[in-house]
Amino acid sequence: MTVNENIKKIRVGTASCGLAAGGAAVLEALHLHAPNIDIDEVGCLGHCYAEPMVEVVTNDGKSYLYAGVDDQESAISSILSLSDKFRFKIPPVRESKELLKVLKLAGKICPTSYDEYVANGGYAALKKALANTPEWVINEIKESGLRGRGGGGFPTGVKWSFLATKEAEQKILICNADEGDPGAFMDRSLMESVPHQMLEGMLIGAYATGATRLIIYCRAEYPLAIKHLKIAIEQIYQNGLNKIEGRELDIMIKEGAGAFVCGEETSMIASLEGKRGTPRFRPPFPTDRGLNNFPTSINNVETFGNIPLIIKDGAESYAAIGTAGSKGTKLFALAGDLKYPGLIEVPMGTTLSEIVFGIGGADPEKVKAVQTGGPSGGCIPKSLFDTPVDYDSLKSLGAIMGSGGMIVISNERCMVETARFFLDFTHRESCGKCTFCRVGTTRMYETLERIVAGNGKREDLDFLENIGPKIIKGSLCGLGQTAPNPVLATLRYFRNEYEDHVLRGQCSALQCNNLVDVVLFKDNCIKCRLCIKNCPVNAISDDFVVDNNLCTRCNTCIEICPKKTIARTKRGEVVNDKI
Amino acid sequence: MIKFKIDGKEFEAEPGQTILSVADANGIYIPTLCYNEKISRTTSCFVCLVKDLKTGRFMPSCSACPNEGGEYDSSSDEVADMRRTALELLLSEHTGDCEAPCTIACPAHANVEEYVRAGREGDFLESLKIIKQRIPLPMSIGRVCPRFCEKDCRKNVTAKPVAINDFKRLAADMFYDSYLEDLPPLNGKKVAVIGAGPAGLAAAYFLRLNGVATKIFEKQAKPGGMLRYGIPEYRLPKSILDQEIAHFIKMGVEIECGKELGKDFKLADLSKQYDAVIAAIGCWKPSSMRTEGEEFAAQGIKWLEINNCGGNNPGRTIVVGGGNTAMDCVRTSIRLGASEVTCCYRRTEKEMPAEEIEIQEAKEEGVKFEFLTAPISICKENGELVMTCQRMELGEPDASGRRKPVPIPGSEYQMTADTIIAAIGQATDATEEFGVDKYGNIKVDLSNFMMIGNIFAAGDCVSGAATVVEAVAAGRKAALGILRMLKLTNETPERTINVSRGHWSSLSKKDLVFLRDNISDEERVALDLIPLEKRLSSFEEVSRTLKPEDMMAEGKRCIECSCTAKEDCKLKKHSESCGARVDAISGKKPEASYDNRHPVIIHDKMKCIKCGICVKICKEVVNENLLSAKKRGFNTEISAAYGLPLPVSCKDCGQCIIECPVGALDWKIKK
Repeated sequence: MTVNENIKKIRVGTASCGLAAGGAAVLEALHLHAPNIDIDEVGCLGHCYAEPMVEVVTNDGKSYLYAGVDDQESAISSILSLSDKFRFKIPPVRESKELLKVLKLAGKICPTSYDEYVANGGYAALKKALANTPEWVINEIKESGLRGRGGGGFPTGVKWSFLATKEAEQKILICNADEGDPGAFMDRSLMESVPHQMLEGMLIGAYATGATRLIIYCRAEYPLAIKHLKIAIEQIYQNGLNKIEGRELDIMIKEGAGAFVCGEETSMIASLEGKRGTPRFRPPFPTDRGLNNFPTSINNVETFGNIPLIIKDGAESYAAIGTAGSKGTKLFALAGDLKYPGLIEVPMGTTLSEIVFGIGGADPEKVKAVQTGGPSGGCIPKSLFDTPVDYDSLKSLGAIMGSGGMIVISNERCMVETARFFLDFTHRESCGKCTFCRVGTTRMYETLERIVAGNGKREDLDFLENIGPKIIKGSLCGLGQTAPNPVLATLRYFRNEYEDHVLRGQCSALQCNNLVDVVLFKDNCIKCRLCIKNCPVNAISDDFVVDNNLCTRCNTCIEICPKKTIARTKRGEVVNDKI
Repeated sequence: MIKFKIDGKEFEAEPGQTILSVADANGIYIPTLCYNEKISRTTSCFVCLVKDLKTGRFMPSCSACPNEGGEYDSSSDEVADMRRTALELLLSEHTGDCEAPCTIACPAHANVEEYVRAGREGDFLESLKIIKQRIPLPMSIGRVCPRFCEKDCRKNVTAKPVAINDFKRLAADMFYDSYLEDLPPLNGKKVAVIGAGPAGLAAAYFLRLNGVATKIFEKQAKPGGMLRYGIPEYRLPKSILDQEIAHFIKMGVEIECGKELGKDFKLADLSKQYDAVIAAIGCWKPSSMRTEGEEFAAQGIKWLEINNCGGNNPGRTIVVGGGNTAMDCVRTSIRLGASEVTCCYRRTEKEMPAEEIEIQEAKEEGVKFEFLTAPISICKENGELVMTCQRMELGEPDASGRRKPVPIPGSEYQMTADTIIAAIGQATDATEEFGVDKYGNIKVDLSNFMMIGNIFAAGDCVSGAATVVEAVAAGRKAALGILRMLKLTNETPERTINVSRGHWSSLSKKDLVFLRDNISDEERVALDLIPLEKRLSSFEEVSRTLKPEDMMAEGKRCIECSCTAKEDCKLKKHSESCGARVDAISGKKPEASYDNRHPVIIHDKMKCIKCGICVKICKEVVNENLLSAKKRGFNTEISAAYGLPLPVSCKDCGQCIIECPVGALDWKIKK
C-alpha cells in the first residue's frame, strides 16, 4: 500500500466513542500498513456521528480529516494516499458557531503524554498561579464569573473562598466525575482526551484553598478515563507538581459504584466515607463539614477544566465571553433526533436554535422540543428556541442547564412517553431516604405508565400537577428537587398531548402502542401480500384488514410494504376497509 | 442565643438547636416520624416540614436550625398540605392492618381479636368484658348474629373462618349473670327511650355506664322488641332473653311495658320531661306484596309475633320472600306441624338475602324452595288458597347490585295452600311527629343520631330493617350523641384511619402475617345441633352452646391480623391529627415481606417507612450495628446483614422496637 510521503503524523481518535465505533481496528491497520509513520492515539473531536475519525497532518502543516473509516483496504489506502474518499469536512455552521476553549486540545494531543500537554501550554496556568497569592487566584476565579458546571451553577470562586478561609487540620478538594445523566458524556470526554487539564485545575484549586487531599470521584463505568487519569496523576508525581509551597498533595481516584445520587455532594461524601450513598440535610455545607468532617469543596470536571483557561488568559478575557449571568463557554452532549450528534462547546448565550438546527443539523420541520439538563431537566418547545442558553433563562422556562445533556425530540416522539422515560430513570435512582422522592416519584411514574398505556384519567393530570411541585419543595436533595421537571415542563408546554391520551384515548405522536391503530389504506395497495406473509401474529386477513386486537404494533408490515400504504393512525380514527 | 419566630411568635434557640426542638420545648405541635432524640438526625419522613418565610423554601424542622431573625411558618394551610401529603405518600406504601378485619366488619366494632384471644387463653370472663364494651346483648347476639366478622375473617384465605360468634355465646352463657359492670353514681340526668328492642336497650346501657338514668317505654307486653316477637324460640329462647333483660333492670334501667307512643304519651311531652329522648321504635309495618287478594295472606312479622313459640298447625304453607323473616316463617311452620312448606322467591338462591346457615337448616328441616317465581294474585276456592304465580328470569343488575327478576310472559301457573305468608320485608311505622326520608325511615344526623333538639333516634327505624348488632351499634352512637349534647363527655367522634392489607378474597396465604407459631390448621369447630327429629317437632333451641375446651382450641385458629402497634403507631396518630387519608394516593406496594424467624421479634418490612431510626439506634445507642438499609429507591428495605434473622440475643434489648414509629419491628406477643 502506498503511503503519501507528505504525511507527517496520523492521529486516530481512540476515546471511548472512537473505540466503540471501531477505532482500535483502524489504528492496528494503520500501524500495519504505515509502520514508519508517526501514529498517535488522541481523544475525541466531538463528532460522534463521524466516528471512527482519523486526522492526517502533513509536513506543510495541513490537516486532513477522515471519518467513518474502517480497517478495510479502501479506507486505509484512502487515508494513506490522502485521497478524497472518506474525507471529512466539519459542517460550516458548526465551525462558525462553536468556540473551542475547554476542548481546545481534545483530539489534538495524546491524552497520556505529559510532554504534549506542556508543549501546548499545559501547566503554564499553574505556574502563573503559584507566582501569585492564593487570594489573587480566588479573586480571578470570582472575577471570571465561573459558575459550577455540574448543574448547580454556584459561583466557583465563592465556594473556594469558603474553603480558603477555613482553619482546619486538613482541607479536601473533590472533583465530581460521577457523570450520571443518561446521554451526557462531556466529563468523560474531557477526562479521556485531556486529563491533565482538569488535574491542573485541581492543583490550582489546592493552592488557592489550601487543600492537601485531592480526590477524583469517578464512576467505575469510565475505565478509559480512569486509566488516563491514573497515568496523568503518576506524571504529576514524577514531575513534582504535587508539591505546592512545601505541602505535599495526596491525589487519589475513587471509583463510584454507579448510584446516580452519588453525584449529589453530600451523598458523594457519604460514599467516600464508606457509607450508603444517601444525602444529608444542608447546612452544614461541605465547606464547613465535609468528608470525615473536614472542610471540603466539591467541583465538577468541567469546572476544573475551565480553571487553567481563566488563570492563563485572565478573568477579564474569560468574562468577555457569555452573558451577564453566565460566563465562558459550555460543553453540551448533543443527542437525540438530529443529524450531527456529538460533543460541542459554545459560548454561553448561544440560542437553542443555533445549537439544535445550526450545529446539530436537526430538521426544523421535524423537531418538537429539546430536553436540557438530562433526566432532571425540562423539555423546551420549538417555539422557544430563540432562548439563549444560560443558567437563568433555562430555569425561567422550567428546564435547567444541568451538566449539559441536550436531547433533541422529534415530532414522532410522544411527550408523555418522553416524560415517563425520564421518570423511569429518576424514580429508580432515588436513594430511598426521603418520603417525597422515594414514594412521590414512584407514584408519578406509575401515573405516567398508566397514561401511556391508555388507562389514564383526567384526574391523573391533576395529580401530577399537584404532587410534582410538592416533590420539588419537599425533597431532601437535588435528585428529588428536580425529578418532576420533565413531567411539569411537558405538562406546561404539551398539555394537549396529555389530554389526547386521557380524554380522547389517542397519542398524537402515534408512539404509544395502546393508543394507535395500524391501518392498511387500500388506494395504493398492490395486493403483494408481503404484509400478510410477514405479520408475526397473523393480524392481517386475506382481504387486507388489520385486526387491531391481534396486532402488536411491531411495525413489520409498515416497514415491509413497498407502497408505504400501511400506517399507524390515531386510535379509532380510521376504519380498516376491506379491499 | 438565636432569636427567631415561629408563626409570628418570638422564640430563642441555642446554637445548633433545631426548630423542632424549640417548638417541642414550647408546646408547638409539629408532627414527626423519623426524629428521635437518642440518635443523629435521619431527615427522612419530611412530615415535620416548616416553611422559611424569607426564602420561601420548605425545610425539615428536625434538622434545620433557625437563622437569626428567621421567620418560620408551621401552621398555614400550605404547610399543613405538605405535611398531609408526606403522610399520604407514606400511607400509600405502608401495608398492614391497623385493626383486624373482623373488628372493622363488626357494625359495633367489638374488639374481636382481643376477646377471641382471652377465650383462647381460657379467660372467658375477660372475653365477656371486652365484648360488653360494645355489645350489651351478648347472649342474644351470640345466637342470632349473621356474623359480619366471620365473613371478613382472614382465615377464609386458607380455611373456614374462626367461629367468632361462638366465643360470644359461650362467654355470655358462662358469666353473664355474675359479671356486673362498674357503674358510676347517677348524675341526675334522665333520658326517655321509646322501644325496648336492641337499639333502645343498647342506648340505655351505654347511658347508664355514663351515669345517666333511663326509662324505656315499650308498647308490647314484654321488652325485647324483635328479639322477642320477631325471632322464633328455636333460635333465641325467651328464657335467655328474659335472663339478658333482667341484667338491664339490675343496672337500674327502668322499663315500662304496654305504653305506646301517640296513644299513651306524646313525643313532645317526653322531650320536655326528660333531658333527651331516643326513639328506637323499629320496623314493624309489613310491606305489601301489591298483588290482588293480598288480604288472604298472613303478614310475616305479624304471624311470627303470634306463632314464634307455638301455635296452630298452618297446614300446607307457602311463604313468599327470601329474607331471614321468610326463613323464620318456614321453619316455624315446620315446627307447628305443617304437612308441606314451600318458600317462593323471585330470584335464585344466590340472591337470597337470608343467611346461608338459615337456608341450609331450613332445607334440612324439609322446606321446599321455588326460585324465580312471583305471586300475581291470591284467591280462595273451595276452602283452599290458590296463588297464581309467574315465572321470572334474571335481567340486568339493579341498584342493590343483584340481578333484577323479569317476568316471563305466559308462564303463569297456580299453587295451592292452606296458609300463605307474605314475608317480603317491613318498614318503619313512624308517626307524623318524626321527620322521615323517602323510605319512611326517621331522618337523623348520622354523626350523633340527633333528629331535632334533644330528640334522637336509632336502630331499624333509622336504617330500615337490619340486624340486631347494627341496632346495638346505632343505640350506642345515639347514647354517645346524647352524652356529648349533655356535655357529659368531651369525646368527639375521632377521625380514625385504617390501613388494610385488603379483603381476604384478594389475598393468598403468602400475604398473611403469622405472629404465633401455634396457629392451628384444624377444621373449624362444628356446631352442636340438636337431633333433627326434635327440630321438626319442637321449639327447642336448634344448637347448643359449645364447650370451653373446644372454643379454646378454636381460638388457636385465629391469625391475629391487627397491628402489633395499633395503640402507639405514630403514622396513624399523625395521619389522624393531620387529616391524611389512607386512599388519597394509590399505587403499588414495595416488594417486601415479613421475617418472623426470631423467636420473639417480628420484622414486618411491609409496614416499614424507611425512617432509619432502627439502623441508627442499633449503631449509635446499642453499639451493635446489626441493621442497615439495602436496595434503592422505592424498594429500599431495612434488614440484617446477609438476610439473616436478628440474633436471639436481641430479645434482651428491644431498643429498635421501642423506637420504631410504625411497629415494623415489634414483639410477636401482643398486649
